[in-house]
Amino acid sequence: MKLPYYPGCTLKDRTSQLENTALAAAAKLGVELQEIPNWTCCGAVYPVSETRIMNLVAPIRILKEIGESGADRVVTICDFCYNVLKRANRAILDDDVKRTRVNLFLSDDDRRWAASGRKVGEGEAYDGGVKVLHYLEMLRDQVGFEKMAAAVERPLENLRLAPYYGCNLLRPAQEMNFDDPEDPSIMEDFIGHLGGRVAAFPYRTECCGSFLGISSPAAARRLSHTILASAQKNGADAVVLSCPMCFYNLETKQKELIREFPGFQPIPVFFFTQLLAFALGRDAETLGFEEHYVDPLPLLQERVSA
Amino acid sequence: MKRIGVFVCHCGINIAATVDVEKVVEEVRRYPGVAHAEHYQYMCSDPGQKLVQEAIDKHKLDGVIVAACSPTLHEVTFRRASENAGLNPYQCEIANIREQCSWVHADRGAATRKAIRIIESLVEKVKYDESLTPLSVPLTKRAMVVGGGVAGIQAALDVANSGYEVLLVEKQPSIGGHMAQLSETFPTLDCSQCILTPKMVEAGQHKNIRLLTYSEVEEISGYVGNFTVKIRKKAAYVNWDACTGCGVCTEKCPKKVDSEFNCNMGSRGAIYTMFPQAVPNYPVIDRDNCLYFTKGRCRICEKVCDLKAIDYEQKDEVVEEQVGAIVVATGYDTLPLDQLGEYGYGKLPDVIDGMAFERLLSASGPTGGEIRRPSDGKVPKEIVFVQCAGSRDPEKHLPYCSKICCMYTAKHALLYKHRVHDGQPYVFYIDVRTGGKSYEEFYHRVSEEEGVVYIRGKVSRVFQDGDQLIVWGVDTLTGKKVEIAADLVVLATGMIPSAGSQALFSTLKLASDENGFLSEAHPKLRPVESIQAGFYLAGAAQGPRDIPETVAQASGAASKVIALFSQEKLFHEPIVACVDEDLCSGCKVCISACPYDAREFDEKEGIVRVNELLCEGCGACVVSCPSGATQQKNLTDEQIREMVKASLGE
Amino acid sequence: MRTELSANKVKGDFLAKVVELSGESILACYQCGCCSAGCPVAEEMDLLPNQVIRYVQLGFEDELMKSKTIWLCASCFQCHARCPRGIDISKIMDALRQMALGSGPDRCGPDEISAAELAGAPQQALVTVVRKLGN
Repeated sequence: MKLPYYPGCTLKDRTSQLENTALAAAAKLGVELQEIPNWTCCGAVYPVSETRIMNLVAPIRILKEIGESGADRVVTICDFCYNVLKRANRAILDDDVKRTRVNLFLSDDDRRWAASGRKVGEGEAYDGGVKVLHYLEMLRDQVGFEKMAAAVERPLENLRLAPYYGCNLLRPAQEMNFDDPEDPSIMEDFIGHLGGRVAAFPYRTECCGSFLGISSPAAARRLSHTILASAQKNGADAVVLSCPMCFYNLETKQKELIREFPGFQPIPVFFFTQLLAFALGRDAETLGFEEHYVDPLPLLQERVSA
Repeated sequence: MKRIGVFVCHCGINIAATVDVEKVVEEVRRYPGVAHAEHYQYMCSDPGQKLVQEAIDKHKLDGVIVAACSPTLHEVTFRRASENAGLNPYQCEIANIREQCSWVHADRGAATRKAIRIIESLVEKVKYDESLTPLSVPLTKRAMVVGGGVAGIQAALDVANSGYEVLLVEKQPSIGGHMAQLSETFPTLDCSQCILTPKMVEAGQHKNIRLLTYSEVEEISGYVGNFTVKIRKKAAYVNWDACTGCGVCTEKCPKKVDSEFNCNMGSRGAIYTMFPQAVPNYPVIDRDNCLYFTKGRCRICEKVCDLKAIDYEQKDEVVEEQVGAIVVATGYDTLPLDQLGEYGYGKLPDVIDGMAFERLLSASGPTGGEIRRPSDGKVPKEIVFVQCAGSRDPEKHLPYCSKICCMYTAKHALLYKHRVHDGQPYVFYIDVRTGGKSYEEFYHRVSEEEGVVYIRGKVSRVFQDGDQLIVWGVDTLTGKKVEIAADLVVLATGMIPSAGSQALFSTLKLASDENGFLSEAHPKLRPVESIQAGFYLAGAAQGPRDIPETVAQASGAASKVIALFSQEKLFHEPIVACVDEDLCSGCKVCISACPYDAREFDEKEGIVRVNELLCEGCGACVVSCPSGATQQKNLTDEQIREMVKASLGE
Repeated sequence: MRTELSANKVKGDFLAKVVELSGESILACYQCGCCSAGCPVAEEMDLLPNQVIRYVQLGFEDELMKSKTIWLCASCFQCHARCPRGIDISKIMDALRQMALGSGPDRCGPDEISAAELAGAPQQALVTVVRKLGN
């Protein structure tokens, strides 16, 4: 199966381990994720201003190009990109004014015209026809968790994993429609099908601080510490997540947490794709752990049979 | 040529500010058929009506048109006035020049011209109106009350005490409803069962009340005064005529099932009575859980019953009854916890709802009246009450306020304090609504004397942390987020129409509102009747309310029934369909068009006949008839044609 | 000193502007406080989220433009998820930020971010900060 794939900025550089493991795991499961050509930044946040409609051009341009290539869906891994693209698509479907104005602008879009060889004004208006999928949804619906489980070579039996969802996957629920925002289960299902055990903890849907990690770092540290401490209190060996921003706050910033919160014990944090690739047979040394502050390798070596 | 009088009302400024009433009278006076025309400030007043009566006499009028507000308001008024002056009331018509003219237009010239046309079209109608006599109908002076909670019991008692027979139908094995589950009632703190059971017993023993418990209404036909209802008496698998309610079978039953009466916090047998004071006090067998019915074993109840009252072969029985009036009192349930994700979806054992807390408080409840939490039986020392759990939430749950929760939460907090002296109750609220008699004083007693801490702010989330529950709320008055680690959380969940009521309302063809509650005929002036004649409403089936309101409303509904039954005959409007036998070809298209089953085919004569008592004058048959054989009295095709021509100014 | 209210203040341009920018029904808020109760960053804020809405409802523009709160909203959407009137408070925060930034200096633009962060933070964090807190 081939699916169009939109990486977004962060996956190419600062969290390349997320992308590498994702693509490798997908390949192992028979899915070739084909990076779309000529992609640009999605904008990172869904633009909510009712008067700055042109801010929608960035994400819609991406979706329109995918539509024009003949595809009706796109897979993304970064939670922020998922949130932006899905909500922008929803806006096109629901709001006539936004749809008309964005399409009007895009029909006149020099950059696309030059790159695609089309003439200015050619091509159909974008009508919201591309479905935006998160990698987890792709695993559950296109591949199937059962099929994924059957391909597992190294079940994660002795690992107690705390699934952390963050905000962008689940909310606003009316637009994201990804899972129950109060009681989601897709990550727990995912962990279970890899043979792992779930350490349930109450902070799995509470915000890590997001961009406050840069603009109000003390607040973000407090939030991240609370989340990690709760996971630890509930018996987690490690935290599993999918968002590069959450990874930054919950993993990279642990170096600051040990200074600010005496008694805080560092805890490894995995991208879900790293665990997936590992369970499917990839060597632990190739999972990109060198990018991590807390090296998860010892935990894997101790707990999971080779 | 008919002599028609036209009376144009000013309705103060409602009509006269937009329509030039003097001009109208001047124009209309000249229209053929109009023998007299005048205008007056308020036609519906006594002097206004006198004008009509005097004119009928003085000008020998044989038709009257009152150009005023909508006929739904005063058609009856003016028809009565005309009748008292010796004119057949069906020769009096209303021309609506308010709702359909002055209230919807701003241009005085155009509005005046339109008013004239409206009146002229009514003149054409009155020209051909016949004098009609209302049809009289006998009535069955027997009432059916659906729902055996306090509303149904009160209504049944009031009707029965007036000398009429009442069938009280209740789907549970016993009457009593939710009030039987309550511990104490606000604001007096009366023991709920102590004040309810005397009424229950009275209803059970009343010579005029026939109790049909464990029964449901299945089918209904007919019309006010003459309903035929089919009621299914569900098989109890116990012969209630033989049973004495000794209770040995319920003691000996080996199966344990979660007790619904105790909100799944205690258990009952597969053969059970709902509670000790049940009326009737006879058990039923829950066949889905009975070991004999599911696995073919046991039969202990049969063995221990000396009176041989157990009958596994018993079948449902459908009985047919004739009644003249029906009171619908099907009550409420509370919003299920599995709807509230932010409070745990009902999966946290120590997050319970108000009704479950009542059962903990109740001396006959699962903990014998000691407040112990469901998970481990520990006495909670920090207890949080969350108001507005699901109510006042148009976005996700119930848009309305459930009215009773502020009061019952205050009551819960107070009763908790009385039993757990060193406990600390907290109540999270958005507003405290205490509109009833002595309610505000009760709330003050709770918040000031009992040390209950009231915190203004809606709780965002409740989750489990170890063996405690973390409550995330806010005190908007000091502007601080608060967190409480509670031993027990009680959610004041909103009131919803009782389970199964939607299906019942469909069967009875009763209108309900967007929240599933019964609709009353008029929200202000007719609160205990449905718009469907013969149906009366009582209690929480119509919307959230407390016990005093419910009882008052039940008596109100009963009084309507009694007023209905005090007449010897009922009168039916004569504006019904009729069939010209010479034109009718017997095609029967009209029969399928009729929504009231009011038409029958006469095989012998080969034509269709109208059952005038069932006909509601909707006109669907007239529209469907290809030959024009069926017409509606005083609204014939010819009349309509002339009215249309007049309204177009032709 | 009493805060004066008048038709000008409560029906003034400020409320209309916030409604226009955010698209939210500000007057639908009945101050239940649920947004504040669930907001992860409320402890660092000077005005609680529900108070921010109250200030908008009453036209207290100056206090809002000077508050710390509007710069602390992380757009986690928990408020919107729980609001019984379906109001997206984070959108209102964005609108207020847009108005406060106006044509003035960035609150946190590229110049305000440290070299270490620029080198290490994920791109999405940098772009988000600059878009939310800068012009």
